Amino acid sequence: MLNESFIAAVTSLGTLALLLGVIIYFVSKKFYVAEDPMVSIINGILPGVNCGACAYPSCNQFAEELVRTKDTSMTCPVGGSELAAKLGDALGIEMAEPKPVVCAVLCQGTHDIARPSAEYVGIQDCWAATQAYAGPKQCRHSCIGLGSCIAWCDFNAMRIEDGLIVIDEELCTGCAACIPACPTGVLVMQEKKAERIFVACNSHDRGADTKRACDAGCIACQKCVKVCPENAIVIENFVAKIDQEKCTSCGKCIEVCPTKVNCIVRHNDTLKTKQAS
Amino acid sequence: MKTFTVGGIHPPEYKLTASKAIETMPLPAEVAISMSQHLGKPAKPLVKVGDEVKKGQLIGQADGFISANVHASTSGKVKAVKNAPHPGGNYSMTVVITTDGRDEWIEGCNTPAEDWKALSKEEILRRIKEAGIVGMGGAGFPTSVKLSPPKDKTIDTIILNGAECEPFLTADHRLMLESAGGIVEGLAIIASLFEGKAKSYIGIESNKPDAVSALEAASKGRGIEIVTLETKYPQGAEKQLINAITGRTIEEGQLPFDKGCLVQNVGTALAVYEAVTMQKPLVDRIVTVSGMEVKTAKNIRAIIGTRFSDIALFAGSMTEKTNQVITGGPMMGRSQFTLEVPVTKTTSGILFINNTLLASSRERTCIRCGKCISGCPQGLEPWLLATEAEFRRLEDAETYGLANCTECGSCSYQCPSGRELVHWIKYAKALLNNRRQRKTA
Repeated sequence: MLNESFIAAVTSLGTLALLLGVIIYFVSKKFYVAEDPMVSIINGILPGVNCGACAYPSCNQFAEELVRTKDTSMTCPVGGSELAAKLGDALGIEMAEPKPVVCAVLCQGTHDIARPSAEYVGIQDCWAATQAYAGPKQCRHSCIGLGSCIAWCDFNAMRIEDGLIVIDEELCTGCAACIPACPTGVLVMQEKKAERIFVACNSHDRGADTKRACDAGCIACQKCVKVCPENAIVIENFVAKIDQEKCTSCGKCIEVCPTKVNCIVRHNDTLKTKQAS
Repeated sequence: MKTFTVGGIHPPEYKLTASKAIETMPLPAEVAISMSQHLGKPAKPLVKVGDEVKKGQLIGQADGFISANVHASTSGKVKAVKNAPHPGGNYSMTVVITTDGRDEWIEGCNTPAEDWKALSKEEILRRIKEAGIVGMGGAGFPTSVKLSPPKDKTIDTIILNGAECEPFLTADHRLMLESAGGIVEGLAIIASLFEGKAKSYIGIESNKPDAVSALEAASKGRGIEIVTLETKYPQGAEKQLINAITGRTIEEGQLPFDKGCLVQNVGTALAVYEAVTMQKPLVDRIVTVSGMEVKTAKNIRAIIGTRFSDIALFAGSMTEKTNQVITGGPMMGRSQFTLEVPVTKTTSGILFINNTLLASSRERTCIRCGKCISGCPQGLEPWLLATEAEFRRLEDAETYGLANCTECGSCSYQCPSGRELVHWIKYAKALLNNRRQRKTA
């Protein structure tokens, strides 16, 4: 009895497997799609995180497009120049040098710098907080500090410290996935430089209002605009903006900035250089 | 007794101020008149710093079709035109006026009452529009727009909303008692715009029998039916009120006029009456100042732009235990982040609350008890919408009827797990809005 059912099971499933195997074999031959082997090689070089920073939905689609067009201007911001060199070697072309970018936070409003508004109790998410009011800090343009952007970062480069988002610049690849996740728009992408100076404030309020709400707010006093030898600074909508193309990182603006906690900050970036092939 | 068919809850009523007559609040030293007191585009400020304004002077011009005029609520000097806190939780362009104490009307406003029956339909609509009247129940939809439905829609039912189903609030209740005549006249003016073809109703919850009899006496022989409704939240929500009185159901994506209905708040009806007969713009409103933490709870007539801090002082200040100040009712109202915010055309109440649940508030997991479903007046599954929102499956939330939620708060009130169901739903709506804006940009 036991043997019989055993045999029945083995033979029926075995026949089924054989039949399906034959069908699969024929289908794979009949409907074979020739894929450029180069695509899988390129795919192997790419980081494979599908972050979308290259404007393609996945690394695979980027690879297909690159192999098809051999467009030297296509870049993977995550891999930087190192990866561009590898891609160029594999395809036998000279890839354009990508400009590495990094995420910058236009706010320094930690708990002791930005004055608090009403306490927020509820869903711990920036967008949820903006449904109730302008945020737990008096400045309505500030980093809300509940970390909605963190979930969007594929590279673990973001964390909240003292009510403010902090970017780990070593880990940030500049994919820009976090930018639309911020309701107040304090995150921006900036080109990496050995020395980068920018105004870390997002307040579009008038100077007096900004000053009341935060010690590190740009009050649009024009001092930095006047002192800049390169004319790289303009005031737009009550906040100073440094043109990164013109800025030579001389730091004169930092010296004259009158705010209690300097609203202009200097960053030193670690730059990966193109490896000689 | 009539009521709506699906869902509904019975929160404690706390109508502490039901027996207190309306007091007129003395002029504050400064008023902050927001340009955004209605649904739609904010008005364009017409005055600049240093200008002298009179009471009733137009200071904000309606900008676009869905917008409303804003008038100075007292005479004085413009101190500032700036972004200032708004009870909606954000900032809006605001005209700050230092009052001169004379409270002088501008010429041509607040004239002796004339007979509205002599006026043409266009003139009535023009006066309503000029006066900047908006729905005073809370949403603030411009009344002149609501009163001119598309040509292909016929209105056969006009409902005045005197349900006032939110706990604490008694502003409409007191208004119905003290100005029943004006309300009935206002309803007659609204009905005249539809050539008398529409049947008029006034819906009032059964916990206000005195208001029912006052309006019955005032409307005798005018063909208005006073409907006593069961005391159940949210009886005063537009869709629920229509369902209770006419039995019709407003489907998803439909507006009341698709089902031949028009709903106006009783306060709006009175404002319409005053605007049409006396050319009086909307410059003041009745506000219930209540809650356990205010010394003397009362109903006040406050001019638009009176700051909450002034009102708190007028009501004998709040106790130290106050940890939440809410504008509107406790179910749908908004917690305020500052007392600098002013009264707007839609501020029906200011509540000073000691919310002991606030400190210990913590969301626990959904236990699938179904209380939110049984309470939802829109027949939705709030737990499902909230869960989809929590995991950012926004498209799924939409297919389950996200847009149909009126955010009445019945589900959150019922939830034994303390889940912030309405907040999650609002969150999902905000994220979807943002996504759409980015796509069109």
